[in-house]
Amino acid sequence: MITMPSQADLAARNKALDLIKSSMKSLVEQINEGEKPVLVIPKRTLSNTIYDLRRKMLLLGPEVQHRSFTDVNEAKKFMQTLLMASIIFDALRNNEYPTIRDLYYRGKHSISYRTVDGKRINENTWEEQRESDSVIRDLEVFLSVLREDLLILSKEKGKVVGNLVIRSGDDTIDLSKMGHGAYAIEPTPDLIEFVDVDAEYILVVEKDAVFQQLHRYGFWRKYKAILVTSAGQPDRATRRFVRRLSDEYKLPVYILADSDPYGFYIYSVFKAGSITLSYESERLATPSAKFIGVMMTDIFGDSVFRKIVKDKDSRKILEEITPGVSELKPKSPYLDESERSNFIIKAKTKDLERAVELVGYKVAEVCIEDKEVKNKVKKKEGLTGYPWFSTPEWTREICIFFNTLSKLEIEAMASKGLKFLADKYIPEKLSVGDWID
Amino acid sequence: MSELREVYRAVSPAEFFYKYREIAGFANPVRAVYQTIRELVENALDATDVHGIPPDVKITVRKADETQDFYQITVEDNGIGIPPNIVPNAFGKVLFSSKYVLRQSRGMYGLGVKMVVLYAQLTTGRPVEIITSKSGYKRIYYFKLRIDVNKNEPVVIEAGSWRKTRDWHGTIVSVTIEGDWNRAKSRVLEYLYRTAVVLPYANIVMVTPENEIVYYPRIVNIMPKPPVETKPHPQGTDLEFMNSLVKNTDFKTIEELLVKSFQSIGDVTAKQILQTAGIDPNKKPSELSDNELLSLINAMKTYDKYKPPSSRALSPLGEEIIKAGLKRAFNPEYVDAVSRRPGAYSGHPFIVEVGIAYGGNTPIGEDKPVVLRYANKIPLLYDEATDVISEVVKEDINWENYMISFPAPLLILVHICSTKIPFKGVGKESIADIPEIRREIKLGIMEVTRGLKQFLSKKIREEEAKRKAEAVAKYIPEVAKSLAVILADESNLNALRKEIISKLTTIVARKTGVSFDLLHGIVKSIEAEA
Repeated sequence: MITMPSQADLAARNKALDLIKSSMKSLVEQINEGEKPVLVIPKRTLSNTIYDLRRKMLLLGPEVQHRSFTDVNEAKKFMQTLLMASIIFDALRNNEYPTIRDLYYRGKHSISYRTVDGKRINENTWEEQRESDSVIRDLEVFLSVLREDLLILSKEKGKVVGNLVIRSGDDTIDLSKMGHGAYAIEPTPDLIEFVDVDAEYILVVEKDAVFQQLHRYGFWRKYKAILVTSAGQPDRATRRFVRRLSDEYKLPVYILADSDPYGFYIYSVFKAGSITLSYESERLATPSAKFIGVMMTDIFGDSVFRKIVKDKDSRKILEEITPGVSELKPKSPYLDESERSNFIIKAKTKDLERAVELVGYKVAEVCIEDKEVKNKVKKKEGLTGYPWFSTPEWTREICIFFNTLSKLEIEAMASKGLKFLADKYIPEKLSVGDWID
Repeated sequence: MSELREVYRAVSPAEFFYKYREIAGFANPVRAVYQTIRELVENALDATDVHGIPPDVKITVRKADETQDFYQITVEDNGIGIPPNIVPNAFGKVLFSSKYVLRQSRGMYGLGVKMVVLYAQLTTGRPVEIITSKSGYKRIYYFKLRIDVNKNEPVVIEAGSWRKTRDWHGTIVSVTIEGDWNRAKSRVLEYLYRTAVVLPYANIVMVTPENEIVYYPRIVNIMPKPPVETKPHPQGTDLEFMNSLVKNTDFKTIEELLVKSFQSIGDVTAKQILQTAGIDPNKKPSELSDNELLSLINAMKTYDKYKPPSSRALSPLGEEIIKAGLKRAFNPEYVDAVSRRPGAYSGHPFIVEVGIAYGGNTPIGEDKPVVLRYANKIPLLYDEATDVISEVVKEDINWENYMISFPAPLLILVHICSTKIPFKGVGKESIADIPEIRREIKLGIMEVTRGLKQFLSKKIREEEAKRKAEAVAKYIPEVAKSLAVILADESNLNALRKEIISKLTTIVARKTGVSFDLLHGIVKSIEAEA
């Protein structure tokens, strides 16, 4: 018998309802005792974001904020948090699936009050969605659940195809029979049940266009892959889906992204989590994910880098940052001189700044040749880079980026020939282990 | 009730004033109306509060001629009255007082009223009418008289008396002058209003030619301490005074004259002064030469071991009276007053009193406080810019230090009382910059303004607390509803919501120190709207 909502859905609802109820009960107890009600919420700030070296992911630190209702500066946020909790609670109880935009509208109304001076003032519970989104995040960390566990939907962005059978809702879906299309990863991936998987690895492609090309080419069937795309910056559902699939079937995860600091960062979001949503990493990050390309060394080889480390001073600095960087295995490029000049794009200042954020200012200082360009990133002096980019391989990659001031999109690799991308570039790199962990 | 024994001596012809009337304030028909009322009112007040009588003063102005701008001005008081034998000279002869004692009063020697009589005579030709009686007299006396300008003599046209049926005492003076009432009116009303501010213990009524009644009723039952007659202080003396003194004295020796006529001079001091002046202490006063007189004055002024002049001759208003007056006039949020300790300049005692009013109906000062100036309880209306009080307010006080930013509803009242007010010029409308007085004004203003600062900062703190409480209270219904939605069933949702509202309101009230009722009002205003 098919019931709506599904059993999995109903179970998730009841769990969420109980969770909200019990957490709010303690607030009412405070009030009954005559105490000011206080919400103790883990801090979602950069200073409270830590990189766990052992687990290789970004996590929320131990700092908490005390959101007290009687504190003038916190009162509105307190009200908004409770208002949001009650709207979510109501939606859960009524078997609804609000999006964050829905929640914004459901909670948005005006409070009309008379001031101590007798003036009537209308104030909205919140003005912009930014405000309601912020309290949703607060509720997630306060209840330590993901919004998906509260049956809040978001836009579907990620797609997947491959030899994989899942149960979603009360349906069984074979992801190898999607025709030219693909399965859109639902916003509540925890409600998905993996029924059967026949694959050796998961390949995540940043670009939707390249995903489609590889799909039509039959790449996943030929190379026993589960093919996933995040279509740009990965959403939570795609990350959670990849993480679960990887965990539950011990499948390695490879990320194929643009060869630029933005692509590198997307990889790091899959692998370690994002700074703004570090509280989700534990459930969303896949620490074993590997960056397969496109690497700078795939474009330029390592001759540029070898030239830099020939200089004793430069080598010393780079070795200090990431020991072993000057003794990495040599690499030859996949592109020849003319292909390079056709495919590469000149890096912009924004790319440079982002790269400095990844590996730190010192690498930029050593590797950038052009004095004018060096001055442009001077304002980022003092940045030391993210710990998860502090590896010899990334130092070499980004050093080459700084030196050549070039970037490349995956589409360029496909332009060289889909056959090249699907049958040579990816399989060859996988077989020789040419990736960055 | 003390009473004054006055002895008069003619010194100066009435003709002088007759010709130079503008220096006495009668320069034009507008000023003349104002000045006439002022002189008569001030005489009335001097006859009452100086003698400890709560003043009842009634002023009547009425049109006295159908075609010409003649106005009959009548002022009635409940003062000590004037002995009938003195009346002709008191109103009809320009005199100087020959008394050698001092005390604070509004007018000096009754000069002003004679100017009024002369001005009336000059413009309308009508005589002055006086009705007067003292307490204890059995009869009321009536006079109609004019002044013989050339002889400086009163000419009594009519006189009479009648039996008193009740114990009335006081004086009614009535003159008819030519004047411009219409243009003088606002100035006169301003004068009365300002007078009433410092005289909350007086009943002041005025009936205008339009039959309007302006009434300032008595609102307090306290009176300023009346001034006590004192001997002059040697440092405050001058040649004119000394001349008169030595010519008219009965004392046998100059030493005795000094000891008996001045305060702060005993036998030892007198001998030292006379030794410095090179005068034989036993010399007959009337035999002093002009040079001896000058060196005596010099010695008296330079001797520096006197006690400061006695302030018993002064009659400050007192803090309560100033506060009561300001409260009635402006109904301010904050009011205070201070009477400074007595000071002295050049041998003259003085006291500075300062009042302050803030908020309520207090007029707005654009870039500095509004200033009300008083000298010996008389309001000063003209020449404000050149007055030392205005200068202190403008230059000596940094108002920002007192949390005041202009425009502000702030008023400063300054009253200076002295046996000799150092007026600038003959207009008697502005006070000269005497360092001793300036300093007291400044300290007085600072003292009352410090209190205002405390009031303002307390007010700001309270406002702040209210605002903070409001910033929290306005969310109580929303929070209560949210909690009720989560924790209650449909059946008890409203009950739980109300319970949480009430408890949260109590908690917020306790945390912010703002009353439950105020917060409850905010919460209710939301409920009512919802």
